[in-house]
Amino acid sequence: MKILIIEDEPELAADIGAYLSAQDYLCEYAVSWAQAREKVELYRYECILLDLMLPGGDGLDILAILKEQGQQDGVIIISAKNDYENKIRGLHAGADDYLAKPFHLPELAARIYSVIRRRSFANQNNVLQNELKVDLSSRVVTVNGAVVSLTRKELDLLLYFISNKNRVIGKTALAEHLSGDIADMFDNHDFVYAHVKNLKKKLTEAGYGNYLKTIYATGYKWEG
Amino acid sequence: MKKLLDQSLRPLVIYAMAVLIVSIPVYFLTINWIWENELDKHHYAIREKLEKRLTSLDLPDSSVASMINVLDKVQPGFSFTQTTAPSPDSSYTLIRFDTFMNDREQFRCLTTDIRVNGTLLRVLIETNMEEIDETILAIAAVTIFFFIVLLAGFVYINRKTSLRVWRPFYETLNSLHAFRLEGGKPAALPASQVTEFTDLNQGLDRLMQASLASYKQQKEFTENASHELQTPLAVVKSKLDLLLQSRSLDQPQMQILEDAYQAINRVTRINKNLLLLAKIEHAQFDNQQNISVAGLLGELSAQFADRFESSSIRYTQQVSEMTLQANPMLLEILLTNLLVNALRYTPAGGSVSVRADQRKLIFQNTGISPLNEQNLFRRFAQASVEHAGSGLGLAIAREICERYNWQITYDFDCGHHHFTVSF
Repeated sequence: MKILIIEDEPELAADIGAYLSAQDYLCEYAVSWAQAREKVELYRYECILLDLMLPGGDGLDILAILKEQGQQDGVIIISAKNDYENKIRGLHAGADDYLAKPFHLPELAARIYSVIRRRSFANQNNVLQNELKVDLSSRVVTVNGAVVSLTRKELDLLLYFISNKNRVIGKTALAEHLSGDIADMFDNHDFVYAHVKNLKKKLTEAGYGNYLKTIYATGYKWEG
Repeated sequence: MKKLLDQSLRPLVIYAMAVLIVSIPVYFLTINWIWENELDKHHYAIREKLEKRLTSLDLPDSSVASMINVLDKVQPGFSFTQTTAPSPDSSYTLIRFDTFMNDREQFRCLTTDIRVNGTLLRVLIETNMEEIDETILAIAAVTIFFFIVLLAGFVYINRKTSLRVWRPFYETLNSLHAFRLEGGKPAALPASQVTEFTDLNQGLDRLMQASLASYKQQKEFTENASHELQTPLAVVKSKLDLLLQSRSLDQPQMQILEDAYQAINRVTRINKNLLLLAKIEHAQFDNQQNISVAGLLGELSAQFADRFESSSIRYTQQVSEMTLQANPMLLEILLTNLLVNALRYTPAGGSVSVRADQRKLIFQNTGISPLNEQNLFRRFAQASVEHAGSGLGLAIAREICERYNWQITYDFDCGHHHFTVSF
């Protein structure tokens, strides 16, 4: 799956690329407005990561070009502008999601995953991993055909882990994912344990292959 | 405080009064001197005439004696005595009871000798003059009258001319009173034809422009600095996320990584709050709506439910229907910050409660000792060293309250911290 990273900070673009490449995404880069325009006009991507402040122009204009041409590429805005107005403006312009910098890479990966799933709804409706199946439209999780009843947050966590398969996810990234904006007001993220513990317990009871591993001091990893 | 116009009037009045007071004895002495001088000249003239006329009559001694006798009896102000030895002339002033005027009178006198046909006569010439005390009184009365006339004139002229002359100054003063740094515009100063006022206004205008510029710069600096920090922060965060993927990390390294996450998390939080403060100060967040406080608190506390649970903190909310006219974002930030603050400083097993009391919202949480109230709402002035917040949460809360003219206060009572917002 092809991802276009439109970002003028080379370090950040490279890091995003490095993280996503390990997730079986194929990443391309654009570092300026002109380059971004050329790429979106010539090629199609499953998802485009769009920075708003670009050398040579406004990222929203790239979005406008895409919409004008009726392209179906998923677009996630990644911007240092963290205010409400900009978010609303970006989403109104047709972006699928808006992620404010600084963000955690697993969060980005989860958003990309979600955007791509939503876009290719018809054939990718289910997430499968051996005995585990997640039906995204009905939000039902089954292990060996038996339904596991998960809370909204637990399902959220499960999808987050699956979209960051084989990657170590830090506790702060998880806390931010679970509680959004208020997460960064706290240093203590103990409540994450409780949710992960419950999720693990439910899945283990249903007999899944113990894909969720705890990593010393830092976080978790979903293996598959 | 004294007024400028009175200031300029006062020394004038004092000076005028001093001059007039000094003028009273000066007038008196001058008048007195003129009087006496004139009278003395007059007396000598009389003496000369008397001597000349008596001598020129060329009368025998007996006739002279009888004439003198008649003069002594009849002519007022004259008295003659025969003398043998000449004595020096003397002029003096005398106050005595006058039987004819039937009053106390002042006289100027001259005693002198005249020689008629070889007879030496001592003559006393007296002239009635105004009494000294009456003269002083009259002069003083006139002086006081003129002083009052002068004073009234001063006040009137001062009012008239000074008000006109200083009007641009007062207008400038009024404009300055209305000037607010937050307004972002310099005060409009009135144009003046007077060089000094034009100078003053130009100087003030420059000063205001400079203050406005540095105020704006200071606000922009915070905002720009925070903005500029976002990208490197994003890079550090993503580097840490990548580093975490490394398979060769041992446990101590992972611990270091976790500590680094904590630190970057804190920097991110501070930066975000600085940006927020700058925006609130910029008077963004203009739109206002009617918001149900109970509804908003319900939503927020639901977000915190996880954390209350994991720290074994009991949360209760007693807020009946209360609506506020405010920007929804700002009200949310205010309530969030107060909730976060309560949550952060409550020990495990404690309780947090929010209750409404008329137009007041009281956040109460378990605590051990009172916080330093002075520092509580200041930026980066942690009230307690035990917990590391952003140091800005309560500063933001106060900034929002100030914007809507709400009161936020803190008190500690019976092992509970109370933060009260009065709307």
